[in-house]
Amino acid sequence: MLWLQVLVNGLALGGLYACIAAGFSLVWGVLNIINILHGSLIVLGGYLAFFAHLQLGISPFLFAPIAGMLLFLPGFAIQRVIISPVMARPVLMTLVLTFGLTLFLDNLMLVAFTADYRKINLQPPLGVLEFGDVVLPLDRLYATGIGLVSVGALWLVLRSTQLGRAIVAVRMDRDAASLMGINVRLTHAIAFGLGTAMAGVAGALLAAIFPISSLSSSGYLGKAFVICVLGGLGSVPGVVLGGFALGVIESYGALAVGPENALTMSFLLLIALLALRPTGLLGRKGFT
Amino acid sequence: MKAVRAVALTLVLALATLSQTNAQETLRIGAPLPITGALAPEGSKLKQGYELWLDTVNQAGGVKLGDKRLKVELVYYDYQSTTPKAVQLAEKLISGDKVDFLFSPFGSGAAKAVSAIAEKYGVPMLASSASSNEVFDQGYKNLFGLYTDNSSLSEPIADVVKEKLPALKRVAILGRNDLYPLSLGNEFEKSAKKRGLDVVYYEKYPIGTLDHSSALTQLRAANPDWVIVTGYINDLILIRKQAAELKVGGQIYTLINGPAYQEWIDAVGPLAEGVTTASWFHPVLDYKSEDIFGSTRKFVSLFKAKYGSEPDFTQASGAAVGVILQLAIERAGSKDRSAVREQLVRGKFNTFFAPVSFGPTGMANSYLPPVFQIQEGKVQVVYPPEVATGSFRTGLTH
Amino acid sequence: MLRGGLIGAAAVTVFGILLLFGDNYALRLGTTVAMYVTLATAWNIIGGFAGYPSFATAAFFGLGAYTSGIALSNGIPLSVAWAGAGLIVALFAVMLGLCILHLRGHYFAIGSLVAADVLREITNVWVSVTGGGIGLNLPLPGGDAETQAKLFLCVMSGLAGAACCAAWTLTRSRLGVALRCIAQNEDAAQVIGIDTGRSKIAALALSSLFVGIAGAIYASWTIYIDPSDVYDVSLSVKPIIMTLLGGVGTVTGPIVGAFAFLGLEELIWRNSLEFHSGFLGLLVVALVLFLPAGLGQLRVGSIWTRIRTVLPPEARP
Repeated sequence: MLWLQVLVNGLALGGLYACIAAGFSLVWGVLNIINILHGSLIVLGGYLAFFAHLQLGISPFLFAPIAGMLLFLPGFAIQRVIISPVMARPVLMTLVLTFGLTLFLDNLMLVAFTADYRKINLQPPLGVLEFGDVVLPLDRLYATGIGLVSVGALWLVLRSTQLGRAIVAVRMDRDAASLMGINVRLTHAIAFGLGTAMAGVAGALLAAIFPISSLSSSGYLGKAFVICVLGGLGSVPGVVLGGFALGVIESYGALAVGPENALTMSFLLLIALLALRPTGLLGRKGFT
Repeated sequence: MKAVRAVALTLVLALATLSQTNAQETLRIGAPLPITGALAPEGSKLKQGYELWLDTVNQAGGVKLGDKRLKVELVYYDYQSTTPKAVQLAEKLISGDKVDFLFSPFGSGAAKAVSAIAEKYGVPMLASSASSNEVFDQGYKNLFGLYTDNSSLSEPIADVVKEKLPALKRVAILGRNDLYPLSLGNEFEKSAKKRGLDVVYYEKYPIGTLDHSSALTQLRAANPDWVIVTGYINDLILIRKQAAELKVGGQIYTLINGPAYQEWIDAVGPLAEGVTTASWFHPVLDYKSEDIFGSTRKFVSLFKAKYGSEPDFTQASGAAVGVILQLAIERAGSKDRSAVREQLVRGKFNTFFAPVSFGPTGMANSYLPPVFQIQEGKVQVVYPPEVATGSFRTGLTH
Repeated sequence: MLRGGLIGAAAVTVFGILLLFGDNYALRLGTTVAMYVTLATAWNIIGGFAGYPSFATAAFFGLGAYTSGIALSNGIPLSVAWAGAGLIVALFAVMLGLCILHLRGHYFAIGSLVAADVLREITNVWVSVTGGGIGLNLPLPGGDAETQAKLFLCVMSGLAGAACCAAWTLTRSRLGVALRCIAQNEDAAQVIGIDTGRSKIAALALSSLFVGIAGAIYASWTIYIDPSDVYDVSLSVKPIIMTLLGGVGTVTGPIVGAFAFLGLEELIWRNSLEFHSGFLGLLVVALVLFLPAGLGQLRVGSIWTRIRTVLPPEARP
C-alpha cells in the first residue's frame, strides 16, 4: 500500500509542477531568456490569492485564472521596457538583469507583506478522497487539475490561434518570422506576458496548499529548472511530462534514500541529464 | 610643520574627549538583526522586543547608574540572515560604532560564530535565541544565553507523556536538518530512549522542503503512538495539515517551534487541538519581576498596546535580553564591561521572562521551559504544576 | 598597460595604508575586498575570457571551505590544508567540466548553478564528517585580534595578487588566445585547430583553484562555517556583478569592479535597513541597461571634454 500512496502523492503534485514550469519554459524557449524573476512572480500570484481570499473571500481555485490575467500586463510591460533593450546581448546579461529584478521584487514583497509565512485556511476544509488505505487530499487534486487545465489552455493558444502560431514561428526562427510580417517585438512581449500569467496561476494554486512567503521564491525557481531540463525545453507536453516525472521521482526518492536526500537526488538527476541528454526526456533539440 | 602637527594633535584630543563625553551620556548596544533573508520573520519579531524595552527604559529616563540615568541607544544592522555578514557586523559594531555591549544575532549558528568575535574583544554578549549546547561549548566568558538548553524542552514533555500515557511505546521523530531543530530532534531521541520507548522512525528533511507527503507517508507506516516534529513555523503548519490528510495515526503530537505562535494556531485551525509543544516563554505565564516591566502581565499589556498582538517567545526574548543587561548594569553601578560581566555571572535576575541565572557555560539554567498544550484553540500550560493553567489531556483531533 | 599599473599601484597603496593604520573593521573590509577581487578575477577567467556563464563559484568556494575545515579539524597544518583544498577543488572542477562544459549558454549556466546545491545538500547530510546543519568549528589561529586580522588581510591579498597575475599571464599565453577564440565563436575555434574541450576545462580548473583557496582561507578567517552560508548563491552572483561593473574580459575590470561593488554595497546597506537588497537589484538592472561594458564606459576624458565646452573660454586651461 505504501508504494501506491507514494505514487499518489507524487502524481498529486505533478500538474502543479507542470504549471510552475510552463511559463518559465515558454519564456526560455521563445525569448531565449532564463527568467530568474519567475519564482518571485509565483510568490506574487500567491499573495494576490491570499489577499483575495482574506478580503473578498474568493477561493484560490477560482482566483487562479484571475491571478493569471492580473499578472499578464506587468509581464508585458517588463518585457517591453526593461528586457527588450538587452535581448540581443549575451546570455549572461539577461540572467543578471532578471536576477536584479528578483532582488527588487522580493525585497518589495518583504517590506509590503512582511516575511511571515501566510496560509490560506479554507473553511470548511475540502477533505480527502479515500480508496482503502490510499488517501488523496481534495485541495491537491483541484490544484493539480486546474494546473493541468491551465497548461492545456496555454497549449491550445499556442497551437490554434494566430497569436500562438506567431509565437511558435518566432521561437523557431526569429528572422524568418520577421520577414513573414510578424511583429517580433510584440510577440516577445506577449510571450513574456503569458509566462508571467502562468506564474500567477501557479502561485494562486500553490497558495491554496502551501504557506507562502517571499522567502520561497528561489525554491520554486529551482523546481522550474529541474522540470524544464527533465521534460525538454520549450515544449508544453515536455513540461507536463517533466512535472509529473519530478513529482514521482521526489516521492519515491524520499522513500528510497530518505527525505533528507530527496532534494540532492533531484539535483543530481538534473546534472546527469544535462551531461547525458541535454535535450530532455522527450528528446527535442534544445535552444542554446 | 610643527604647528600643523600641534593643531592635528589638539583636534584629535578634542575629538577623543568629545566622543568620550558622548559615550558617557548614552549606553550603546549593538544588535545585528536578520531583517532580510531566510530569518526575516524572526528578525522583525526580535526587533519589536528590543524596541519595546528600549522605549520603556528611555521613557523612564534611562538606565539608572547611581543618581544619574543613561539613555539607551540601539545600533541595528541587517545581517541578511547570513552568518559571515553577522560576524563582519559584530566587528563593525565593536570597533566602528564603539558599542558597549552586544545582543546576539538570531538563532544558534550565527550566535556561535559571533560569540568568537565578542570573546576576542571582551564584549559581553547576550544571546536572545540560542538553545543548542554546541553554541556554548567553546569556554567563552562573554557569552550569556537566555534560553535553557534543548534537553530542557524534551525532558519535561517526555515526563508528562510517560506519566499520562504509560502504555505508549512507539515514537516517530521528523526533524529539520538545521542546527537548532536537528539538535532538538536528537534530544528528543535521547529523552525517549532514556524512558524505554522505541524510536521507530527518525528522519530529517532538508531546509527548503516544499512538500512533506513522502516523509509523512513513511512515518505513518511506522505506526507511531507519539509523533515529534521539529522545524520552523512554515514547516509545522504544512506538516500538521498533511499529517491529518494522510491520516497519520498517533495519540500525541509534539511540534516545536510553531504551536506557541498564534499564527500557527490560526493557520491550522481545529487541527491545533491537543498538540503539545514547549517554549521558554508564553504570555499565559505570570512572573512578578524586579525589572522595568514589573511583571509578565504588565509586559504583555504594554506589548499589546504597542503592537496590537500578544507577544510570542521570540518577541519576548528581545525584551528579556534588554532587561537582563539593564539589571546587570544597574547592579554593577557602571557600564564597565568587566563589572557588568561579573554581575551577569552572578545572575539571579527576576525578570518578566523567567528567573534567569547563567550556568558555567553561560547558558541559562535557572528555570524550566513550560510544556504547553492547545486546548479549545487556546494555549494552556500543563507543566510544571507551579505555573500550570490547565491539565494535560489525551486525545487528538485527526 | 598603464591603466593596469596604476590600478595595481593603487591597490598596493590601499593595502599598505590598511596594514599600518586600519582598525579591525577596516582590516576586515580590506580582507573582504581582497576576497572579492579573487572571486571576480577567477570568475572572469571562465566567464569573461572563455565566455561561459558559470554560476559554480559558490560550489568551488564552499567545497574549498569545507575541505580545508575538515582537514584542519583533523590536525593537518594550515598551509597544507589551504593548498590541498585548492587542488581538490580544481580536481572537482575538472570532473564538473567533463559533465557540463559541452553545454552552451543557459544549459551550462543552470548546470553550474545546481552544482552548489548538490554539494550543499551532500554537506548537510554527511553529518559524520561535516557536522551537517550544525556547522563546523575551526581551530582558532594563534595571536590576538589585531595580529589575526592583519594575517588574514595579508594572505587574502596575496591570493588576490596571485589571481590577478595568473589572469594577466593568461592573456598573453596560448591558452588565453584559445579562450578568446572560444568566447567569440567556438565552432570556428574548433575549425582552426583549437582543442576547445581541454582549453575550457583548463580555464574552469584554474578559476576554481583560486576560488577554492579563497574559500579555505575564508573558513579559517570566520572560524565557523555552515552549509547554507558557504554554498550561498550570492557567492556565485556577486563576482559576476563585480566583473560586469568593472568590465568583462579584462584583467583590471574585476579589480575595479570588486572595489566599486564593495563601496556601493556598504553605501546602500548603511543607508537602508530594510530595502538594501531592493536597491542593489535596481542598481544591477541599471548597470545592465545603461553600462553594459562596465564603469569603464564612464570616461573621465569625455566628462572633462563636456565640462570644457560648458566653461567660459577664459576659464579654460
